[in-house]
Amino acid sequence: MRIPCPYCGARDAHEFAYLGDATLTRPDPAAADAADRFHDYVYLRDNPAGRHQEWWYHANGCRQWLRLTRDTRTHAIEAAEPARRDATQADMPGAAS
Amino acid sequence: MSRLNRNRLEAGGLIDRARPLDFVFDGHRYHGYAGDTLASALLANGVRLVGRSFKYHRPRGIFSAGAEEPNALVELRADARREPNSRATVTELFDGLEATSQNRWPSLGLDLLSLNRFLAPFLGAGFYYKTFMWPAAFWEKLYEPVIRRAAGLGRAAREADPDHYEKATAFCDVLVIGAGPAGLMAALAAGRSGARVILADEDFLPGGRLNTMAGEVHGQPAAAFAAHVAAELASLPNVRLMTRTTVFGVYDGGTYGALERVADHLAVPAPFQPRQRLWRIVARRALLAAGATERPIVFGGNDRPGVMLAGAVGTYVQRHAVLPGRHVALFANNDGAWREMLDAAATGANVETVVDVRPNVAPELVEAARARGIRVFTEARVIATQGRTLRSFDVLSPGGRERLAADTLAVSGGWSPCVHLTCHHGGKPAWNEALAAFVPGATPPGLAVAGAANGTFGLGAALREGAGKGAEAAGALGFPVPPLDVPQVEDAPFALTPFWHVGESRGPAFVDLQNDVTAKDVGIAHAEGFRSVEHLKRYTTLGMATDQGRTSNVTGLAIMASLTGASIPETGTTIFRPPYSPVALGALAGHHRGKDFRPVRLTPTHEWARAQGAVFVETGAWLRAQYFPRKGERDWLETVSREVKAVRASVGLIDVSTFGKIDLQGPDAGTLLDRVYINTFSTLAVGKARYGVMLREDGFVMDDGTTARVAPEHYVMTTTTANAAKVYQHLEFCLQVLWPELDVSLASVSEQWAQIAIAGPRSRQVLAKIVDTGVDVTNEGLPFMGAVEARVMGGVEARLFRLSFSGELGYEIAVPARSGAALAEALMQAGEEFAITPYGVEALGVMRIEKGHVSGNELSGQTTARDLGLGRMASTKKDYIGRVMASRPGLVDPARPCLAGFRPVNGSSRLRAGAHFLPLGARPETANDEGYMTSVAYSPHLGHWIGLGLIVRGPERIGERVRAYDPVRGEEFEVEICAPGFIDPEGERLRG
Amino acid sequence: MADRSPHDPLAGIAFDRVPPAGAYGVTGEPGIVVSTAEEPFIALVAARNGFGASVAERLGRAFGGPGLDRPHAGFGSGSTVVGIGPGRFLVLSRAEADLPGTLRAVLGTEAAITGQSDAFVLFDLSGARVPDLLAKGAPVDLDPRVFPVGDAATTLVAHIGATLWRSGETGWRVLVARSFEASFTRFLLGAGAEYGLRLEGRG
Ligand SMILES: [Zn+2]
Repeated sequence: MRIPCPYCGARDAHEFAYLGDATLTRPDPAAADAADRFHDYVYLRDNPAGRHQEWWYHANGCRQWLRLTRDTRTHAIEAAEPARRDATQADMPGAAS
Repeated sequence: MSRLNRNRLEAGGLIDRARPLDFVFDGHRYHGYAGDTLASALLANGVRLVGRSFKYHRPRGIFSAGAEEPNALVELRADARREPNSRATVTELFDGLEATSQNRWPSLGLDLLSLNRFLAPFLGAGFYYKTFMWPAAFWEKLYEPVIRRAAGLGRAAREADPDHYEKATAFCDVLVIGAGPAGLMAALAAGRSGARVILADEDFLPGGRLNTMAGEVHGQPAAAFAAHVAAELASLPNVRLMTRTTVFGVYDGGTYGALERVADHLAVPAPFQPRQRLWRIVARRALLAAGATERPIVFGGNDRPGVMLAGAVGTYVQRHAVLPGRHVALFANNDGAWREMLDAAATGANVETVVDVRPNVAPELVEAARARGIRVFTEARVIATQGRTLRSFDVLSPGGRERLAADTLAVSGGWSPCVHLTCHHGGKPAWNEALAAFVPGATPPGLAVAGAANGTFGLGAALREGAGKGAEAAGALGFPVPPLDVPQVEDAPFALTPFWHVGESRGPAFVDLQNDVTAKDVGIAHAEGFRSVEHLKRYTTLGMATDQGRTSNVTGLAIMASLTGASIPETGTTIFRPPYSPVALGALAGHHRGKDFRPVRLTPTHEWARAQGAVFVETGAWLRAQYFPRKGERDWLETVSREVKAVRASVGLIDVSTFGKIDLQGPDAGTLLDRVYINTFSTLAVGKARYGVMLREDGFVMDDGTTARVAPEHYVMTTTTANAAKVYQHLEFCLQVLWPELDVSLASVSEQWAQIAIAGPRSRQVLAKIVDTGVDVTNEGLPFMGAVEARVMGGVEARLFRLSFSGELGYEIAVPARSGAALAEALMQAGEEFAITPYGVEALGVMRIEKGHVSGNELSGQTTARDLGLGRMASTKKDYIGRVMASRPGLVDPARPCLAGFRPVNGSSRLRAGAHFLPLGARPETANDEGYMTSVAYSPHLGHWIGLGLIVRGPERIGERVRAYDPVRGEEFEVEICAPGFIDPEGERLRG
Repeated sequence: MADRSPHDPLAGIAFDRVPPAGAYGVTGEPGIVVSTAEEPFIALVAARNGFGASVAERLGRAFGGPGLDRPHAGFGSGSTVVGIGPGRFLVLSRAEADLPGTLRAVLGTEAAITGQSDAFVLFDLSGARVPDLLAKGAPVDLDPRVFPVGDAATTLVAHIGATLWRSGETGWRVLVARSFEASFTRFLLGAGAEYGLRLEGRG
């Protein structure tokens, strides 16, 4: 698989480390139901056949965390966005799972 | 020389008669020419029997002229370079080539194991399943050795492969797979546009069928035209023409796997050349122009040496100027095969008979055949053959049954496009009724198909399609494609009547020649209900040999379809997976074999340690000094015990550069650390270090280490050796994903700093001798957990930490990596008066167990801070990663196994890591399991073995005895639970 | 031991030692010359959030090169600035002994500076076949037609993390973590032997 790193260009997936679901947001640890929310955050995963957002770390490249939009059936990659840019731009209100 | 080649034509062919080559087959010396394959050279010498079949040991000859060969498999070369199952049909002849036939014992002519033939009724479809079901023990002792002897393929070399293999990556705009007519034109169209083109072909001569056909293209012999195009391609700087290169797989993102046989055509590789090179080709567009494979008709005795695909007969005659036999007959269902034979006859082959299953054949073909004196049978079929190698065959026609003489029977049942690579992303080939063949279905992204691989069988059409699709690929990438003058070739109409299996056959009729699967076997599979293609394959092994059923899959499917009454597409399709043809493991490994399996990391003091006599151990990628044996020491335990005693009594040194070291700078560095560690770092004073534990978000411990604050906005973190990269990645995740608002910059400084620990009561005196004047290392100037920047050894910048893993007074001294060895020398010199002792990771391990410090064995990913006795470190005043999940009921259950120390009740017992704890008298079963021993060591300080382990309610059970049960080693012993910390539990040595 | 052929360029060389200087592989004029370059001072510059472009520009002005925040190597007199990640640069200098101090003066509080002079070994590779050699280890398109002088890439070469850039028509630089020096040199010798390779002694 080739991943289009916004900084480095298209690179082989071997250079990257995979983390998983990028649609989750770390819950507010002070919330009354924090225990339940963290349980879901840590353990509950959708496993979509198709479009999926995932964290990939360019460990052997620019060391950016990237939010990839990837089709899990075809491995086609629609977008690769740096996490930092996307996190600072979007405020993601109430995005908790 | 040519008189020795009794079947060689006087002239013609693409061989170099000025370059004769000697070779040996089964001990006999023969001659061939440059341009020959092993198969063509054997045929030129009249050798027709080249092997025995896999299961029944039937005599087999040469069946094809290409990669699809199921029969002519030989052991190539000798000794360490011996390679079994080499296809003689694609083995390029070289001077001194040595080959041996396979599956025969004691000799090819007299094969005692051909007895298997008489066992054939018992060895049919489902043989393995039915015969060897019971009893299981018979497998190992009886069945397997017998089968391995009787059936099976060639012998692998018994010595390590002496040759070098390598891997490489190439990038291109357009990859063209196959250099036949379509591929050559595609590469030319794309190449002239300026696109970067790679043209790969498995043959050593580009041209494909242009090299094997009679007739002209573009006003010159077809092969000359191919050579002309190849020469232009070779001259273009943007085109890479890769011959002897098989593209074997299509992977994601336009990545293709290819194997270049750099030196397989040489007796030994040229100096410093690899034998083979594995290519990863990344192509923006690709075009598959891999041609098509002829398939046979199945009839009785169709495996006899001398039965050969019609196209192969044509190839040997036209390309190699070899007559496969003196008396040639054809059995076919299509016009193309007739033309092939007529051309062969015109070139000099003695074609005597044509048998066609069709009642009506184009009159001009029949006339042309008769004009050459060829007997023609229509609406006829071959039902049997005779001879050790083919002598005669029986024809059944409306005129009755007749036996005809022939030593070569060319057979053609049509053509199967080489759709293999189109299936590698899961695409299914589609059945084309008119061609009676599977053509490509959905193809992988970026891959188009042209020529015969696409079902475009006509030469003129293939040339046009190749040119068009090559231009299209380059054009789509924005390259200006100049118009191409495509040669005009008039194609005869495609005329074929599907015909698969002669029902009237006498004798076994083979579908899969390599795995010895007969039409009858397919019938058995049908009768027993194994009717889907996948069941058929597994039950009969059809198509599962190294040829992957290139000549048998479609036929097997068609026979099954006729039995079920369903159509071929209803019955199924054959799916192909990578690799297209076998790839040697050596090629997949490349440079990375032996000690180069993976790169190693050497510490800054590696050479120094070697000079000190160190024994090294791999810890991850690092090589670290394990211990430093001295003359007269009996074993490692004696050495390690000496090292431990020396440290505890005086002073020792060890390189700890392998720990991960991360600089954190910025106003929010303390905040970040507070969020990743369970304890607090924002309040740490400048000049101090603190031990920290970090958790994963699920509440389990991820790593530990000390972090020092060297300036208000500058911390230096250390991680364990094993987790250095993981922790760095985790910190980047925190900064880039979780809390991008934090203003912190990270830098890995693991490689910048050499770090040496000195430990023992004399360590301060040693340190004092190497620091520059003015550096205060007294207990007040550098107290326990102090961390300062200083100069040592006369101006070398350094970081000094007062830390201890061993439990003794200790320091870690970091200097720039290039000064690491000098630091070790300086410490040795400074410590000489105290008999300073280098020690290795074994002694370090003993001391940390004596001291009760946790390490990798305890940080197993399944332990919490509380389990490890570190729960009190956790701050209750802040949030940190893992806090919420660490407090869930299951992780705070007081009955969880927790860290404790263990000593043997019988002082002389050796403890074992991994032993499980059971209450005394309890049966060894899961319900009674109370935990396990994580680390053990012989403590020279105490004079007996000690251990650390996790046991239910450990801290509450000090003094209790339990059973340590080690079923792996068959040992058990009684141990007493004690506090973890066998030495100086008050920590007076550290602070003194 | 890489292989057992009579032409193993690594025969007799311990895997945990940096191979000695000398000629390796086919004899004659070497196709590739490898040396460890003398640019002894190295520092990592990590721009604070939002200062990537500004830091790049300041570095360009002070040390030469176009001053872009991308994988590129800019050359000044006796210095090189290489982009290794967004807002992250390695500055190499032949003369600036107090490189971190100089950088702090140039960049103020816009970036964190970390001394890395000892963290790397800088390999200098020259010869027309260097791209072919590197293709045996690096999964990056280094064809001189698409990787012009000044282009840089941080990647893996033979499983070893490396930052490489093209320093001239046939000149390449590869920065490798110091602990990997022996393994990386072994890779170069194994992969370059077919072109003839001269390994020069430490300067
Ligand atoms: Zn990147």
